[in-house]
Amino acid sequence: MNMRDSEIDSRSPIDVNKKSMSLTAAVWARFRRKRLGVLSLIVVVSLFVIGILAPVLSPYDYRETDLTSALLSPGSDGHLLGTDRLGRDLLTRTIYSIRTTVIITAVTMLTGGLLLGPVLGLLAGFFGRWTDVLISRIGEIFSSLPALLMMILINATLDERLRGQIRRFEDWSGIDGLISTGAYSYFLVFGTLSLFFWVGSMRIVRAQVLSIRELDYITAAEALGATPVRILSRHIFPNVAFLIILGVSSALAGIAGSELVLTWVGVGVQPPMPSFGSLLFEGSGARTVRAYPHLLLVPGTIVTLLLFCFVLLGDAINDAYRGD
Amino acid sequence: MSSRQLSGILLGVVGLLVLAIGGLSAILLLQGNEQETTTTAVDQSVSSTDKVDLSGRELRLPGGEPVTLDPHLTTDAVSGAYIVEIYSGLVTMNAELEIVPDLAESIEISSDGLVYVFSLREDAKFHDGRAVTAEDVVWSIHRAASPELRSTVTLEYLKDIVGVREYYYGLKPELAGVVALDDRTIQITIDSPKPYFLAKLTYPSAFVVDRSQIESNRNWVRSPNATGPYKLAEWNLGESIVLEASEHHYLGLPSVHRAIYTLAGGSALTRFENDELDVAYISINDIDRARDPSSSLYKYYQATASMSVSYIAFNVTQAPFDDVHVRRAMAMAIDRKTIAEITFNGMTMPATGILPPGVFGYTESDKTLPYDPEAARAEFSKSKYNSSNMPPIVYTETGGGASAGLDTQAFIEQWRQVLGLEIEVRQADWASFLDLIDSNSAQMWGIGWSMDYPDPENILDIKLHGESRENNTLFSSPEINALLEKARTNFSVSERIAQYQEAELLLIEAAPWIPLWFGSNHVVVSEDIEHWFEPPMTLPRLQHIKLRD
Amino acid sequence: MLQYTIRRISILPLLLLVITFSTFYLTRWGPGDPISVIAGQVRDPEVLAQIREAEGLNDPIYVQYVRWLGDASRGDFGESYIRRGFTTWEVISPRLWVTGQLGIAALLVIFPIGIFAGGLGARFRGSWLDPTITLSLLFAAALPGILVVAVLQWLFAVQLSLLPVGGWGGWIEIYWIAGIVAVPILDPHIYIPLTAYTLGGFVGVARLVRATVLEVNRTDYVRTARAKGLSEGTVQRRHVLRNSLLPLVTVVAFSLAGIIEGSIIAETLLGIPGIGSFLFQAIGSRDYNAIQALTVIYSATFIIMNLVADLAYSLVDPRIQVGETS
Repeated sequence: MNMRDSEIDSRSPIDVNKKSMSLTAAVWARFRRKRLGVLSLIVVVSLFVIGILAPVLSPYDYRETDLTSALLSPGSDGHLLGTDRLGRDLLTRTIYSIRTTVIITAVTMLTGGLLLGPVLGLLAGFFGRWTDVLISRIGEIFSSLPALLMMILINATLDERLRGQIRRFEDWSGIDGLISTGAYSYFLVFGTLSLFFWVGSMRIVRAQVLSIRELDYITAAEALGATPVRILSRHIFPNVAFLIILGVSSALAGIAGSELVLTWVGVGVQPPMPSFGSLLFEGSGARTVRAYPHLLLVPGTIVTLLLFCFVLLGDAINDAYRGD
Repeated sequence: MSSRQLSGILLGVVGLLVLAIGGLSAILLLQGNEQETTTTAVDQSVSSTDKVDLSGRELRLPGGEPVTLDPHLTTDAVSGAYIVEIYSGLVTMNAELEIVPDLAESIEISSDGLVYVFSLREDAKFHDGRAVTAEDVVWSIHRAASPELRSTVTLEYLKDIVGVREYYYGLKPELAGVVALDDRTIQITIDSPKPYFLAKLTYPSAFVVDRSQIESNRNWVRSPNATGPYKLAEWNLGESIVLEASEHHYLGLPSVHRAIYTLAGGSALTRFENDELDVAYISINDIDRARDPSSSLYKYYQATASMSVSYIAFNVTQAPFDDVHVRRAMAMAIDRKTIAEITFNGMTMPATGILPPGVFGYTESDKTLPYDPEAARAEFSKSKYNSSNMPPIVYTETGGGASAGLDTQAFIEQWRQVLGLEIEVRQADWASFLDLIDSNSAQMWGIGWSMDYPDPENILDIKLHGESRENNTLFSSPEINALLEKARTNFSVSERIAQYQEAELLLIEAAPWIPLWFGSNHVVVSEDIEHWFEPPMTLPRLQHIKLRD
Repeated sequence: MLQYTIRRISILPLLLLVITFSTFYLTRWGPGDPISVIAGQVRDPEVLAQIREAEGLNDPIYVQYVRWLGDASRGDFGESYIRRGFTTWEVISPRLWVTGQLGIAALLVIFPIGIFAGGLGARFRGSWLDPTITLSLLFAAALPGILVVAVLQWLFAVQLSLLPVGGWGGWIEIYWIAGIVAVPILDPHIYIPLTAYTLGGFVGVARLVRATVLEVNRTDYVRTARAKGLSEGTVQRRHVLRNSLLPLVTVVAFSLAGIIEGSIIAETLLGIPGIGSFLFQAIGSRDYNAIQALTVIYSATFIIMNLVADLAYSLVDPRIQVGETS
């Protein structure tokens, strides 16, 4: 799964002159007609809700081990989906894994797709000249890097450093448990995913800004002496915000898939915080599957459903946007 | 693109598909016949060569990829397993872990225990048939200790020899402690009488290499000419290593003529069941099947002890582990027996002390601090730490995967339940782990130690003597240090054992370590093997394995 | 266009410089080093310090980098740290070949099947078959590789004992029937990794083919061909398919990216001696030279494939102007 370039075709920006005002409504109207798209949106939203409500919905604490009830099969007393080798409830761990996916995708979308990419795209498109050249070249570099390799390398080397910083932060702020729950590792995963994820939305925004800039009202605003910040925030951003959302939602599957692999490798979300990556790690291996299939199949089914819905959703949005 | 090209492409595609489907169905069809086909092939190869019948003399083993096959540079057990088959030295250890002469025929030790005189056997030969001379041995030890080679292990194993340290650091051009008296006699002088010196000489640092080959061939280590019972026949990086019996070895041809180690490829047990391997080690997922008398694996299953112990170590200079009561309380709060039974499915053996079985001085009785939550809490309340002044604790362990060790996760939970301690697990990869231990920045960590020779000195003196460089706990007790030093040079076997056992008990009470598990190997062995030898430590093993005729 | 091509190619060395320097710096900045890993548990800090000094690991990083760059530009990637006595290239090249074989095999499977599926979709546009094909290929792309490998291993290797659990034996194996007839078949080791590599790739190819076929069908010359009374089969073969295949060059890069990323997972899970599984050994043991060499290989492949795809894109579709600076 390649997640660097969002699926939206940034090369052929739509003609904003005609459509910009009604674009949202038009795309939404087309999207609503796609049954599969709507269905996957419903599934994604419900999984997101499950993830957000994880602490409320889960029957157990995700760390709670009980050696006397280890490796129970699904349907056992008190453990609907069975337990793992340390007697931890698999339903709980799956729900928390959904939460991990929700947090990672949401934050990466925010930081990479909605913050870093658009801001750079706006800057490149608005200021042009060397700013544009610089940002576009950096984007070119990042989009031609082997992302997964780089992310593995960065995470493997930075983990220790980040721990140190977070520990200092814990001491200073009095906040506890970032490290002992493994939650600190989220920052590392956000960071690296965002690093390779902004290029797509940067390109979309840059292309749109370039075409909007030609419009008369911007020239008028410039003539009236409005500051660049004002022009960006008042005139340009509202026009491209919707496109950005489209762009990032179509890359959801890529983000979730990358987190899965990073964690599986051991450089993503750290234990004891559950993630689909670590659940699949514990459940995979031909011999484990033979002896305890539920360890693989329970999280495997859920994560496949999640990824499939992400793909369908991105696909439907993309189609709706293109007017199919 | 013309339509001819196009149809070419399509034809290729169809061909590929046919090939794939055909292949799959051929596998299906040939499943049953595979056995037969391979044996015919082997028979043909045998009849074509007039050599000894090799068909039943082959052993197929799972193996790891060695870091190096240079005996003077090796540090890891994976490489060691090959090196001890290919190379040899003056002395070796037999299957009963007794030190016996190997290239040497006789050993004379001076009455003060300082001078060792070795006479070489007349039939000690390199793989190419050349006789081993005293000069070969002397040159090899010089090479191992040379400043140019910069081996990281030589000092540890050869430092007792007079002059090795100075030679290694380039302070002296000569290594005075090792000399050839004549063509077949070598004299080694050590700095003080040490009952374990010969045991140290069994380590690869003292193995013999071929000077002329090393000096003429930069890549000699890929096909070393050495003195061990087997020669390296093939080394396919990442794929396989093949050892073949040396026809010039003084023991004559062993039962196993060829040993093929497969380095790559999935679960060894499945490969064993598919008759791709003769031996496989069993993981926790299959142990139930192997132990079940009605299962097909049951009759092949063997479990043996290995001479190693895993433990939790504390840095006793860091809070809260500068307080012995905290260390003891943590030892008493973990229920290793239950964890071994349930979490590890009875595959691990709870340690009964620091010395693992096979080391002399080992006893079966449990000497460790017993699991007792009440006593643990009482011990904890004696410490100067309580919930208000308890610093954060980090437990470091090695691991590259996505989840912490099973026992670690269980311990963390028990420390939380029994003592109310919230301990954070830090999984570091091997490189980071070593870095943390070296810089004394880890508070507590889990690791293991495999014995290099069955002498308590190899663990108590090296890892827990207050002045040893390898002692990362920084624990030092004058009483224990004195005891260990006395045992070091004591030639009375019974006294020496008693001294080490006393030191072991004192160390358990002071708890710089919590001994956790003794190592064990769980293995299934094919019916073609009459006698399997699972060494408890790195030893030449192939020569002890007997194949069925 | 020419100018753009030249600019893209001239930026190549610069890109490689940036990437290799970043990894060089990153690996040396993180904790641990190969000397410490090799030494293992028996370690004398003084000895290790001496070795580091002699190996030049104590020099400033930029000095080390310049030295590495000098060697690398002459094709010398240094000695391997975790396979002592071998050069990095000697360790990597056989593995590169294994991964390369699997990658080529994967492309050979992705494209025919993808083209077939796409053509089928276009042909049966409007019927139930078209969306079913797209949907199942999308589903295949959504399956996590880890799950696919684990399930295939369990099903075909453990339960049915049809395929080996892992390992590698080349592409093709010769089976002898009664010692006379030689039957070349695909090596049984290849099926599981190949499935894992290819599942994600079909959908991209199929969709592109479907879209272009539909588009070409609407063009004037196809309509003319039909009007001339050529049979529908001939029209499809001669004109439609032919013109639909060209744009596929652009997805090769995309597929290759997927294959390389898939290889990291599949090789590790299946114990295949390729560069994907070696990557972890190299990172874990801080084999600086191996990490650098792998970075160069991966990045160069990626960059070149991206470049080829972009150029092909502009050739195929004249409406696209690459390198626009409007």
